[in-house]
Amino acid sequence: MRAVYRVLAGLIAIGVVVQAMAIAVGWFTALKDVDDGLVIDKNYDGNWGHNVHSIVGSTAIPLFALLLLIVSFFAHVQGGVKWALYVFGLVVLQIAFAFAAFAAPVVGALHGANALVLLAVAGMAARRAAGAPTPAATTEATA
Amino acid sequence: MKLRPPPRRVLIALLATIVVLTPIVFFWTRSLVPNDLSPMSMGYADFGGGPVSEHLHHGVDVSELTGPPEQKPDVAVDLVARKERFDIPGRGQTDGYTLNHTSPGPRIVAKQGDLIQVTLHNDNVADGITLHWHGVDVPNAEDGVAGVTQDAVRPGQSYVYRFVAKDVGTYWYHSHQIAHEQVQKGLYGVLIVQPAADDVIAVVHTYDKVRTVNGEYGERRVKAPGPTARVRLINTDNGPMAIWVDGAPYKVVAVDGTDVNAPTEVSGKKVLVTAGGRVDLEIRTNQPVRIALGGGPTTLVIGNGDAPSGTEPKDRVDLLTYGSTKAIGFDPARATRVFRYDIGRTIGFFDGKPGLRWWTINGHQYPDVPMFVVSEGDIVRMTIKNTSGQVHPMHLHGHHLVVLGRNGVKATGSPWWTDSLNVEDKETYEVAFVANNPGIWMDHCHNLPHASQGLITHLMYNGVSTKFHLGGGPNNHPE
Repeated sequence: MRAVYRVLAGLIAIGVVVQAMAIAVGWFTALKDVDDGLVIDKNYDGNWGHNVHSIVGSTAIPLFALLLLIVSFFAHVQGGVKWALYVFGLVVLQIAFAFAAFAAPVVGALHGANALVLLAVAGMAARRAAGAPTPAATTEATA
Repeated sequence: MKLRPPPRRVLIALLATIVVLTPIVFFWTRSLVPNDLSPMSMGYADFGGGPVSEHLHHGVDVSELTGPPEQKPDVAVDLVARKERFDIPGRGQTDGYTLNHTSPGPRIVAKQGDLIQVTLHNDNVADGITLHWHGVDVPNAEDGVAGVTQDAVRPGQSYVYRFVAKDVGTYWYHSHQIAHEQVQKGLYGVLIVQPAADDVIAVVHTYDKVRTVNGEYGERRVKAPGPTARVRLINTDNGPMAIWVDGAPYKVVAVDGTDVNAPTEVSGKKVLVTAGGRVDLEIRTNQPVRIALGGGPTTLVIGNGDAPSGTEPKDRVDLLTYGSTKAIGFDPARATRVFRYDIGRTIGFFDGKPGLRWWTINGHQYPDVPMFVVSEGDIVRMTIKNTSGQVHPMHLHGHHLVVLGRNGVKATGSPWWTDSLNVEDKETYEVAFVANNPGIWMDHCHNLPHASQGLITHLMYNGVSTKFHLGGGPNNHPE
């Protein structure tokens, strides 16, 4: 279970990196396409970069965060539930920022900043599950 | 052997798991769209204040509401649909769908009163196809909606559409099976009733990233037919398109197939063509003119020599006040059914997929949406209100709506008859129509990806039912 915890937290961290890459590719591709004759107006619904960002962001990362939380209940990781909750909360916040940013684009700045916080926190959660369990982690203190 | 109870920690963990998963599984399950769904049993009936009818399932089947069955057609067309590679002149090859090896498909032209017969063959489009006659008020069986008025036409099969071209005007046709994919990739064409020989046709379509006019990319040219030209503009895309004319003033002479009463000349203004909508312009063409099609490199030049290129004008022709009033032929104040069509959005699941922007109708998500029930002869008013954050081109099949007002301001121009109405975010339109074409009719957003995300409902006539199913064996997916 510790290994699963570590892998899930790691996948979330990698997911954040993928998200940054996908959205950058999406918009650079769009700029190039405009030079090539594309019209971006209300008819435009993005390219594969945007699609990857939307699928990873609305499905893959939330699913990993949910699984991490559930695994944390069973895994003997010190502070594991707490850190899984941090990750879960940051993912919820990230989605809320995205939702709000469609109406108020300036909120997109928080979406970008919160992504880096999520990356750091998911990385720290993964590190807590590295190596063998400490005796303290087997107590019920984490519940 | 005595079974030891699990440690308290495991019990708490299990309990916490249940607490976390229950709401998610609940909302996920509730969002699933059944794989075999009758339009007769979906959603909930909205009677619009009219008489409540109990026996919606009985009566005539839509398949019996056909065009003239016997008579010899005046215009007979055979269309063969294929998935293949084709050329976009000015741009190159693309993968998509064709009708008789071209996209757009062959132009269908008829005189008013002609019986049109189109035989559609599916050569190799694996998902099946249909053809819908966008803007033409055909009898219900000819409407071409997979899962509502017919089954999708599988590869190797054929289907015959027959209807009388009773109204002159600019129309188009397109597949209504997996429409958000099939239309975008080329299954569409132009249908015009009673054009003059030298009318200019400009059907705008975006294939993947390539916006085209009449299937061609870049600056395209046609000869000036005379001192004025009637230009029939058709927007087959998913978003509204601003059109403007560089080099001459113009009149908006028709909208969605209906002539504008007493159009006045405008210059330095753009006109909006709703997604799915049509606008006919009359343009002075004694000098070369350029018609800009939403900006971008694809434009249409009428005449020889250099045509000016300008930028998008700020002002827009407002059809609410354009032209002069005229009787509409019925009294909306005597409406017998009054509906509201509130478009909102929600965060959560749609058909099991999580997302930030799923559409709602009157607060409900597809397929649990209101079915607008009418009886033949009803005068119907509808308030279409959009608070969803995005524009929606609302398209009612089989009928034309007249716009009564927008955001509380009454329409004062020419009667604005429409079948494709551009409802921007935070806009409210008041519309009316006469229920004079019995059937089960889609009433949906013509941003086709939005329709596939559930922005669809039906207008249903008492005494009409359909034997066709959404999903099911023929795998009907009209959106």
